[in-house]
Amino acid sequence: MARKRAARPLSVGRPRPWATIAAFAVVGTFTAGIIGYGVYASSLADRPWTDKLAAIDGITDYVAQKPAWLTQQHKPGSLPYEVTPSVGGDHNGAWQNCSGTVYDAPIATEHATHSLEHGAVWVTYRPGLDAGQVRKLADRVQGRDYTLMSPHDQLTSNVTVQAWGYQLAVDSADDARIDTFISAARVKAGPEQGAPCSGGNTATGTTPQQGGQQ
Amino acid sequence: MTADDGTVRSPRRAVLAGLLVLLLMSAAGAGFLAGNAGDPGDDSAEAGFARDMATHHAQAVEMSMLAVQRSGREDLRTLALDMGLTQQAQIGMMRAWLDTWNLSPTSTAAPMAWMNDDTGMNHEDMTAEPAPDGDRAAMPGMATPQELDALRQQQGAAFDSSFVDLMVRHHNGGIQMVDAVLARGPDPLVRDLATSMKRGQQSEITALEQIKADLVETP
Repeated sequence: MARKRAARPLSVGRPRPWATIAAFAVVGTFTAGIIGYGVYASSLADRPWTDKLAAIDGITDYVAQKPAWLTQQHKPGSLPYEVTPSVGGDHNGAWQNCSGTVYDAPIATEHATHSLEHGAVWVTYRPGLDAGQVRKLADRVQGRDYTLMSPHDQLTSNVTVQAWGYQLAVDSADDARIDTFISAARVKAGPEQGAPCSGGNTATGTTPQQGGQQ
Repeated sequence: MTADDGTVRSPRRAVLAGLLVLLLMSAAGAGFLAGNAGDPGDDSAEAGFARDMATHHAQAVEMSMLAVQRSGREDLRTLALDMGLTQQAQIGMMRAWLDTWNLSPTSTAAPMAWMNDDTGMNHEDMTAEPAPDGDRAAMPGMATPQELDALRQQQGAAFDSSFVDLMVRHHNGGIQMVDAVLARGPDPLVRDLATSMKRGQQSEITALEQIKADLVETP
């Protein structure tokens, strides 16, 4: 240190590079301001649930691919659906109760689709799936508002999860993508903000219980 | 200032460095606040919409709960329950916005005052269609106190028919309010809920009109 001081003594009288210092200060101030705003903007995290869903390997995004399928009219009786199980479209006037409800028999797609519109995530599994696997699925649904679960006899994989406009098919209840899907889509994916899961139809059976008309 | 290594820095340099750090920290803070300062103010269209739509929704909840209790049609009771519960939850969302923005949930401003600005849309246009009994409603599509009283007196198919008529008009008015706030390029929170309201109420109008057609066919 002494050597250094000897080599470069405090420069008395040598002009400081004020212009450079000022330039650095100005650039630094702007940068810090931008970083501060960036921290604020990222705290807002604009629509993170869509990003989380989009990042799930193997998910199908019908909101992006087939928005025309996702109509929202009430119609009575049996209705045709483009996707099995349904991910949206016209539906029965009554929604299926989806307050964390586990159904032990198939339910009407026309009611379940209305639940998806209200923001529910519908977990479906192939009938005959190992009881331990079914229990693992039920643990994710039972008592968790804005979810419902039922067996579905037209699945081509063991388990599928549906939200309004989104579907994921997996082979096992142990697949962590199920949790990612549910946590991202629940409540948020429904196009009708504030709509309830309580007060809906609680009966099982694939024939709609009541029509949009009597 | 004497450091362990024995260097003696110029105090001026230390002060300069300290000032620079302070400057950078306050710039970062200012950046954060500049973002936060984007919250809608007391006389913003967003705040006006939140307050007025809460009032507008409250009347829809009132009428819907009447229908849940009184209608003889299961499809109408289910639709009314759907509309009433959804709109009550949306009232909660709009109140929470106002809380977040540090604004009062109510205001002494006239109903729909937020729509009287330089965008060329105004209150008069919105209520140009007077209610049938001549008593001008406070907001687009709202039922007058007289209409609500009359609805409470009705039973059976007459009730169903009046309810459907009042609710279709109410929803159409609500959609006008939604369009007015969307035309003002609102905060994303407001934009998203308003857009959701419009889609939901449009499909509910269709459902109400289907029930109305059925009521006419089978009185």
